[in-house]
Amino acid sequence: MASPRWTKVRRDLWLHKARTVMVVLAVAVGIAGAGAVLDTWALLRVVVREEYLATNPPSATLWVDSVDAGLLATVRALPGVRAAVARRTVVATATSGGVGRTAMLFAGSDLGGSEVGRVVREAGDWPPGEGGFVLEASSESFVELAIGDSVALRLGSGAEVVLPVTGIARDAGLAPGWMEHIVYGFLTPGTLARLGAPATFDQLQITVREGEMDRSHIRRVAADVAEAVSATGRRVESVEVPEPGEHIHAAQMDSLLLTQGAFGALALLLSAVLVINLVTAMLAGQVREIGIMKAVGARAGQVAAMYMVVALALGLVAALVAIPLGAVAARAYARFAAELLNFSVEGYRIPSWALVAQLGVAAILPMAAAAIPIVRGCRIPVAEALRDLGISGPGERGPGRILGGLGGAARPFLLSLRNAFRRRQRMALTLATLALGGAVFMASLDLRTTIRGSVGELFGKSLRYDMSLRFVEPHAPDSIVAAIRATEGVGELEAWSGVTASVRHDDGLLGNGFSLTGLAWDSRLVAFPPLEGRWLREDDGRAMVVSRRLAAEEPGLRPGATVTLVVGGKESVWSVVGIVDMGPGATAFTSRAAVAETVGDARARVAVLSATVVGTASESELIQRLRRDLEDAGFPVESGQLVQASRVAMEDHLLMVAGFLVLMSQLTIVVGGLALASTMSLSVMERTREIGVLRAIGARHRTIALIIQGEGLVVAVLSWALAVPLSVPMSVAVAKSFGRVMLPVPAGMAPQAGAVLAWLGLVVVVSALACAWPARSATRITTAQALAYE
Amino acid sequence: MLQPSPAPALIALRGVSKVYPGPAGGFTALSDVSLDVAAGSFVAVVGPSGCGKSTLLSLISGVDRPTGGEVVVGGTAVHALPERRLSEWRGRTVGIVFQFFQLLPTLTSAENVMLPMDFCGTWPNRERRGRAEALLERLGVADQADKLPSALSGGQQQRVAIARALANAPAVLLADEPTGNLDSRTSAAILDLFASLSDEGQTVVMVTHESAARTHASRTIEMADGRVVADGVGAVPAEAAHG
Repeated sequence: MASPRWTKVRRDLWLHKARTVMVVLAVAVGIAGAGAVLDTWALLRVVVREEYLATNPPSATLWVDSVDAGLLATVRALPGVRAAVARRTVVATATSGGVGRTAMLFAGSDLGGSEVGRVVREAGDWPPGEGGFVLEASSESFVELAIGDSVALRLGSGAEVVLPVTGIARDAGLAPGWMEHIVYGFLTPGTLARLGAPATFDQLQITVREGEMDRSHIRRVAADVAEAVSATGRRVESVEVPEPGEHIHAAQMDSLLLTQGAFGALALLLSAVLVINLVTAMLAGQVREIGIMKAVGARAGQVAAMYMVVALALGLVAALVAIPLGAVAARAYARFAAELLNFSVEGYRIPSWALVAQLGVAAILPMAAAAIPIVRGCRIPVAEALRDLGISGPGERGPGRILGGLGGAARPFLLSLRNAFRRRQRMALTLATLALGGAVFMASLDLRTTIRGSVGELFGKSLRYDMSLRFVEPHAPDSIVAAIRATEGVGELEAWSGVTASVRHDDGLLGNGFSLTGLAWDSRLVAFPPLEGRWLREDDGRAMVVSRRLAAEEPGLRPGATVTLVVGGKESVWSVVGIVDMGPGATAFTSRAAVAETVGDARARVAVLSATVVGTASESELIQRLRRDLEDAGFPVESGQLVQASRVAMEDHLLMVAGFLVLMSQLTIVVGGLALASTMSLSVMERTREIGVLRAIGARHRTIALIIQGEGLVVAVLSWALAVPLSVPMSVAVAKSFGRVMLPVPAGMAPQAGAVLAWLGLVVVVSALACAWPARSATRITTAQALAYE
Repeated sequence: MLQPSPAPALIALRGVSKVYPGPAGGFTALSDVSLDVAAGSFVAVVGPSGCGKSTLLSLISGVDRPTGGEVVVGGTAVHALPERRLSEWRGRTVGIVFQFFQLLPTLTSAENVMLPMDFCGTWPNRERRGRAEALLERLGVADQADKLPSALSGGQQQRVAIARALANAPAVLLADEPTGNLDSRTSAAILDLFASLSDEGQTVVMVTHESAARTHASRTIEMADGRVVADGVGAVPAEAAHG
């Protein structure tokens, strides 16, 4: 038989079902939010460790003019090299279903091997057979090809070769094809040769024998390899040493999860505040009973234990709801995140430690939050606890009295105003919860707007062309311009040259290769805002401006600095004149003359142009026409890209990140709404007698409901007023965190009007919903019941 | 004024005073009260509202602490007991009956009676229900054992409250206006009950407005303005109270 005290605990919980459910929901929302982020992080960590590292990602990649079996054997024999493979990557056009898309085709010396950059078979053939095409899994949804379909591949002006899709395989080292809008495919060297590509390879991928996680060591080994390659008379174009053990998108993912983790922690914190609020109120309603229990012999510790067990039980019930909910959300989110990383989470389980951690937090959080009110409540002297206050609560002071004294307002509204300030501590907690939720919501909306603004700035103001064309072979710039001019619909037009360059560091090692584009110093088709230094000038010579990202990766590239670049295997000295904002890429611009002087070739391979036609469909039609006309004119085009398509792709991906932040902010709003609902329910409960008096003196249902709704509205509007200034530092923090790894976005120092109004509208709706039940409860109190209430 | 008790004192108050702080200065509820209560006696404390009689009861039960003086109950200096020991002492030594019954609304009558035994561990778990039923039987409400307080009449609730007060077989039963919320017939029955408990050896101290209570009590203490103004066996003459 249960002892009376535990029977009391059980029946009290059942008696106050709404409040019990509210506490469970409060804890569940916090745990589910934070748990979802934790689960995602834990799951991705396992997947990255087990899936990405298991692919033996290359420690370094060297671009060499030609790699054959002999060179490969030489490199493999070097003491620091554990394994080496050769690859060739070509850019082609893949046509299927009548749509031509940019394709990146890979052929390798040992595609089926697992020593370097292991590719995992998902379906059909692997490695590709002669004459077969294996599609990379991340391109599958984008290109809508399946095993058994055919794809027409064309390399530059070469003949179109139709190949059957014979397999699907996943290369976790590639940025996802659906995201990059590229069709990745694997072929044998022989099949690639049928397309017209050279039969030799042009990349060396190596893994190191030791120090796999030491980037400096890898750079030294890569330098040894480059030296060995140069000793055979070949030219090393560039060397790339990625961050060891880190996926190409890992930093973005970490930042994303970190930001969301912070939001999750905030949801948890707000839950705790809500629990404090609810437990304080619960104890306020139990003061007399605590007094009675102490009068009949209960020690403060025994009474405290009863309420602590209640908190524990509620936390555990919340965990039952929240942990599966968080896991489901985490799996869905991890699936999306893994797609960004080009992994698959299928077959992986959320580590049990993450679930146990959530259970622990669910058990501890309500107890920790409830500890102070419980200890305080249980220490109330018996005499004080048993004292009958009648219509309870202190008379309002401060803002309630001042606001309540305003003339001209309707009496019920004045009552609402005054009531809102009666329980100031509870009011403060509710306000803080709602205001924080609002600040997070506005910061998320601000981020969406600033992302759109920044992408719009980049593509609308900085990039003033509509499309770009890359030719199979370089041509004289004037001839390119003349050839393109022949097609109707072309506005401004420029021919650009380009090379891959690497910084030669003081220790002699090469930095990662980056794209150095040569254009007219007074180009009218780009206008990047300078962050530091200046743009190019006519008399600059070998000078360059670098992107913010490149400056971050190569800290030596500061305005005024002189650096040695390796371009086409040759060293040349360059000066850096400025850092500009040109989106998320690590890239640099110089004059076409400087490129020509450096490589001894004045030809250009890229054309950028603005269109006189308007609209994506018209621009697509123009680009197709240009490709045909240029091919006829002897300027075959390797690939063509609409700026609008790049813009949409970039915006979509960045907004997806912001979208998840909005989702997390909605969790905090739910907690805020729960806080308001609980405050109002408790307020109605505590004022039962007062409501009875109002009824007795003639207040109608509508008036009572209006008073309750009005009180909620006062809290909501005040929280809105608090949230607006609070959203500014929140926006700055979010923008900085986002800008560090994604696209730099300006951190607004003033809340955006749209977000401010959206939150005002939302908080009013949240208030109306949160007060609906308490208002209904208040109208159902009968006068007799209320006046007998004790 | 002090009437010496023939038997050794179970309750002894020496120079007890109680001042409640207030915004307009302190309010003196009790002023230099000294008295002894012998074991087994039935004492009625009477007097007008605000005379300090409920405060007196609070100090004897350890619910409140005196501002000055000593309160000794069953040899324990209640005024000096630390808060952490006070509850358990009270649970084992004192049974309290309130004017508004103060039963826990979510517990049945039997469970309310078992509650002090549960907190103080005075009876083995398996015996508590039987003892609660026996007490309810003794008070004539055995048939209400499994009902919630809201289903009982005022008189029945007060009987259950008395059973609860007796649960741990306390040395002293303290009743604060136990009939104040009851009709006259029920009030008389409750007073009879206290008298019979006293006859069985239970010490009862009762604060009351009821003039009828004086006829049931073995001793009546009249209070006014925080002081004992009359103390005697049976009824105190009205003129003594106002003189």
